Amino acid sequence: MAHAKHDNLWAVTSGQRSRYLGAMLAMAIANLCMFGAPLIAKYAIDVVVAKDVTLGTPMLVGPSQWLEQVFASQNAFAWYLLLSAALAIAVTGVGGIFQYVRGRWSAIASEAIVRRLRETLYRHLHDLRAGYYDDADTGDLVQRCSSDVETLRVFLSSDVVEIGRSILLVLTVTPILFWLDPTLAWWSLCLIPFIGLFAYIFFHKVQQVFQVTDEAEAAMTGVLQENLTGIRVVRAFARQDYEIAKFAEKNRIHRDLNNRLITLMGRYWGTADFFSLMQVGLVLAFGAQAIIEGRISVGTLFAFLTYEGMVIWPVRQLGRVLTDSGKAVVSLGRTNEILNQAEETLEPTPSRGRADGDVRIEHLTFGYDAARPVIKDFSLHVRAGETVAFVGAPGSGKSTLIRLLLRLYPYSQGSIKLDGQEVSDVNRHWLRHQIGVVLQDPFLYSRSIAANLKVGRPDAPDAHLEQACADAAIHESILELPGAYETLVGERGVTLSGGQRQRLALARALLKDPPVLVLDDSLSAVDTGTEGLILNALRARRGRHTTLIIAHRLSSVVEADRIVVLEAGRAVQVGSHAELSTVDGPYRHLCQIQGSLDAEIRVDVSRAGS
Amino acid sequence: MYDDDNYDDGFDEEALARRMRLGLWKKLFSYTQPYRRVLVMLGFFATLTALMDVSFPLITRGVIDAVDAHGAAANLWPYAAAYIACTTVLSLSVGCFIWAGGKIRTHIGHDIRRDGFENLQRLSFSFYDHRPVGWLMARMTSDSERLANILAWAFLDIVWGVTLMLGIAIAMLVMNVKLALLALAVIPFLGWVSARFQKRMLRSAREVRRTNSRITGTYNESIMGVLTSKAFVRESENLNDFKQLTGKMYDASVQNMIQAAVYVPIIVTLASLAAGLTLAVGGFDLLHGAISVGTLVAFMAYARNFFDPIEQLGRWFAEMQMAQASAERIISLIDAVPAIRDSDDVIEATQVQLNRPTRQSIGEDGGSARIERIELKDVCFDYGNGRPVLDHVNLTASAGETIAIVGATGGGKSTLVNVICRFYEPTRGAVLIDGIDYRKRGLHWLQSNLGIVLQNAHVFSGSILENIRYGRLEASDEEVFAAARLAGAHEFVTELADGYKTEVGEGGSRLSAGQRQLVSFARAILADPQILVMDEATSSVDTDTEQRIQRGMANVLDGRISFVIAHRLSTIRNATRIAVIEHGRIIELGSHAELIALRGHYFDLYRQQSLHEATRELTDFNPRLA
Repeated sequence: MAHAKHDNLWAVTSGQRSRYLGAMLAMAIANLCMFGAPLIAKYAIDVVVAKDVTLGTPMLVGPSQWLEQVFASQNAFAWYLLLSAALAIAVTGVGGIFQYVRGRWSAIASEAIVRRLRETLYRHLHDLRAGYYDDADTGDLVQRCSSDVETLRVFLSSDVVEIGRSILLVLTVTPILFWLDPTLAWWSLCLIPFIGLFAYIFFHKVQQVFQVTDEAEAAMTGVLQENLTGIRVVRAFARQDYEIAKFAEKNRIHRDLNNRLITLMGRYWGTADFFSLMQVGLVLAFGAQAIIEGRISVGTLFAFLTYEGMVIWPVRQLGRVLTDSGKAVVSLGRTNEILNQAEETLEPTPSRGRADGDVRIEHLTFGYDAARPVIKDFSLHVRAGETVAFVGAPGSGKSTLIRLLLRLYPYSQGSIKLDGQEVSDVNRHWLRHQIGVVLQDPFLYSRSIAANLKVGRPDAPDAHLEQACADAAIHESILELPGAYETLVGERGVTLSGGQRQRLALARALLKDPPVLVLDDSLSAVDTGTEGLILNALRARRGRHTTLIIAHRLSSVVEADRIVVLEAGRAVQVGSHAELSTVDGPYRHLCQIQGSLDAEIRVDVSRAGS
Repeated sequence: MYDDDNYDDGFDEEALARRMRLGLWKKLFSYTQPYRRVLVMLGFFATLTALMDVSFPLITRGVIDAVDAHGAAANLWPYAAAYIACTTVLSLSVGCFIWAGGKIRTHIGHDIRRDGFENLQRLSFSFYDHRPVGWLMARMTSDSERLANILAWAFLDIVWGVTLMLGIAIAMLVMNVKLALLALAVIPFLGWVSARFQKRMLRSAREVRRTNSRITGTYNESIMGVLTSKAFVRESENLNDFKQLTGKMYDASVQNMIQAAVYVPIIVTLASLAAGLTLAVGGFDLLHGAISVGTLVAFMAYARNFFDPIEQLGRWFAEMQMAQASAERIISLIDAVPAIRDSDDVIEATQVQLNRPTRQSIGEDGGSARIERIELKDVCFDYGNGRPVLDHVNLTASAGETIAIVGATGGGKSTLVNVICRFYEPTRGAVLIDGIDYRKRGLHWLQSNLGIVLQNAHVFSGSILENIRYGRLEASDEEVFAAARLAGAHEFVTELADGYKTEVGEGGSRLSAGQRQLVSFARAILADPQILVMDEATSSVDTDTEQRIQRGMANVLDGRISFVIAHRLSTIRNATRIAVIEHGRIIELGSHAELIALRGHYFDLYRQQSLHEATRELTDFNPRLA
């Protein structure tokens, strides 16, 4: 599936650019309004100080003289002041409306972009090759999808606007200042570039400290997470003191780095404040000089001081904002690293609906790492409806075979066919619909039990649901839970035992009623009595599914039509229990372990009986 | 990563946010105790900063009035000196209060986490039963930071804001009472608007945060369960569910930002109302010579300066109210008393023992170091819901003995073992170690003599070597290898590309379930425990490997007490005694031969497992196996 590429910040904003533009325009208007109020106040002060209405802005002088006549009063000054105050408030109010429009539009634009990015990432995570997850660190991936997206969100919603605002402020205020008084305008702007540059350099340099601090925090959180998930092991070995020392170290490092960072920030803000205030001081000093020289009025100085206050704080922030933009670029790169990973391919869906379940594997060789094959020249034909069991030591390739059948990993040597269709050439969704699998480490979503069961068949009627659970010998246990089938499981819900999880996963696969049923060591945590019940139920279903079972207990294996013994990726023995238990080989060795036991049992039983 | 939204932990956020709970904050404020001097400095610099902020408009006023009155003859040097002095003091105190606040924030955050972590190591398993890891993580990370932030920066902003507002009010009142009252008249409105908006904004911000943590959780789930989602072709359904979340997130974030977009212009307009009033009335006074032009300019500057602190104070009060649930939660964690802990006598004995020369025969709690016998006497246990999990259990195990525990799932096997390990204490009856109730012995002493292998074996991220060494931190590499050999792990480890240096990944994800069991088995063997507990420790291991482990274990078990929970009878048969548990009761107890002769539950269980029984229907009995 093709995704929109987000290689740079500009590309990310596609679809929302006009709204951003609108927000910028609204901001420009809001800025102009903000500059209006001090100007109005300047004229009012000039009028009052000189006691001369004609010094005021003509816009207000006319109406105030007219009002004076209308009300037959003697005081044009009072009217002028009142009108000025009203106009200043009105202008600010109008500016406020545009400020609101700006806020609204930029909020919608940035949130819409981020929403799209989140959904793209989520979909992509589902479509990535399974192999990608082998080396991926869950925590890191989640962080890229959450904190890095958040960095981008902050950038888009506030930083972009902040940068635009600062630039617009400087651009609009400069002409006004020069119009009021060119000399004083030079003085009032002279330190600003240096303050901006200083801020930029500082934040640029401190970025590394930020990064180190973030890493220290991640390390601390990591220790915490490990400790809490493994708390039973910690207790079992009475390692509390060791763990406390380990955490104390990370906690201390995090604290000290953070402290260093804040101290640096303290130095920065102190210095920046000093220069900002000196800039204001320059305006005051040279403004006073200009008044003395008669070049400007007190009102003009007032306007200068107010404008200076408006411009200098955003400039002081600009360094931080620009560095944050740098961070946004880094974050975008990190999310792109995920988005640029190859997805699974999507082949056409075969026209046939349900497969029969004929699995044919020929000369299959595969290794996660090409140099170390896990499956070596493996061939097997499983007819539809047949039950085949796989046995072998850990690492002999049993689970890998299952993964290849599900096309979770691509193979290049040999072939796997389902109903004669090469697995790698067929639509993966169709393929997986044909297979019901119980993985070795069953995963349950943090939802209700019913929702978990219906994962493979959302429209399953309750009767089927309960039948599948009865077959998996979990129905009774579910009914004992506080909410029965509606009980939440997973992180927020009840904790299930390993055996319960396995049986739920089995019920989930049975409910799907697939042509091919795959059980990967799915009964290891189930007690023997329950195992017997499940095996009985599976026996009753025989012929309905092609069944592949990986198991360690012979009781799960003996009834299979054929048994495959795997050793280091090769099928060393294939045959029924009756066949294999009579020939010399690893299977017979397994049987002998069990068999000698078996013989003893008979002796014990008969002895007890006599 | 975690949201408290759908989790009922007994803390009602809404109810807790309704009113300010001073007692709670006083308690939290005690965390500043070790940093009292820094806190005083923080208050001092905050006050100083506020005073400087008040001074600047006064200097401006002085300059303007001097120029206005004297023209070219005006002496501006004193003002210049004052300005530079104020600027210097202000810059320095800004730097200093950031330093002081930062120190308090980082240290308090550190201290809260330290206390929380240390208590978490003490708290009993029953505490963990009701609190998912995510809940605990949220307390230890975001909550501790949030509270530390409040204690440092809210304190700063409150001191600064109150001083600044008082200072400005006094300066205005001194200059001109009428104008001052006029400008101050806007304050109540401002306060009201601020309080209302801040609360709403915080509420929607909380909604954003919650939804965000759910989104993060969903990402996490999608990654953890990716194979299942792929196998069940859940891609589009999952995406649809996720889209609902992002939609909610969009709504909440836009709402929050729009609230801010409304709030700020209202505040600015209200501020301009104050400035406008001052301009109109002050201008008129100026016209009549009642005030100077400098005073008018100063007033208009003050009218603007008032709003920063109001906004800040409004935000902090709302934040403090909202954060009360966090505070309650974290205090509940720090103050939680472990249900299982050493008695005072044991603590005292441990102290005494600490000062004595260590002797091999004496444990750290002053009692005997050896464990010869464990005896369960009439032990009852329930998880607090009245449903007995263990019901009058009696069992004795001596050094060198292996006790197998069998029975159906849910019968109480694991609970029995947990009680023996003192992860839970009996609700009735007692567990005696060499005749002494284990509640009179040291908890740490007992548990450091345990070796436990669980079915769902947790391994930590790190190398295999580090994981096995967790059993005994000072063990040499050779000892680690030896333990791995005994556990049957050595073979698969040496076949890995990096051998013992192989990183196992988060939670051991790069190992198979069987491999994880072998590693944790090696870890327990290395610990050289007096009591070895194996709870379905080899369930994911093939029979052949299991047999080899069995043979190796014969030496390991020598002289130790071991408890084995297993389904495979081959594991169980050789035990000294076998206890069959059903519904929390030991219904049969005895050696394999005795129980077989009994022809009871064990006999049935045993027969069930017989290969012969299982295959009888399919094939005739195979004489070669006899």
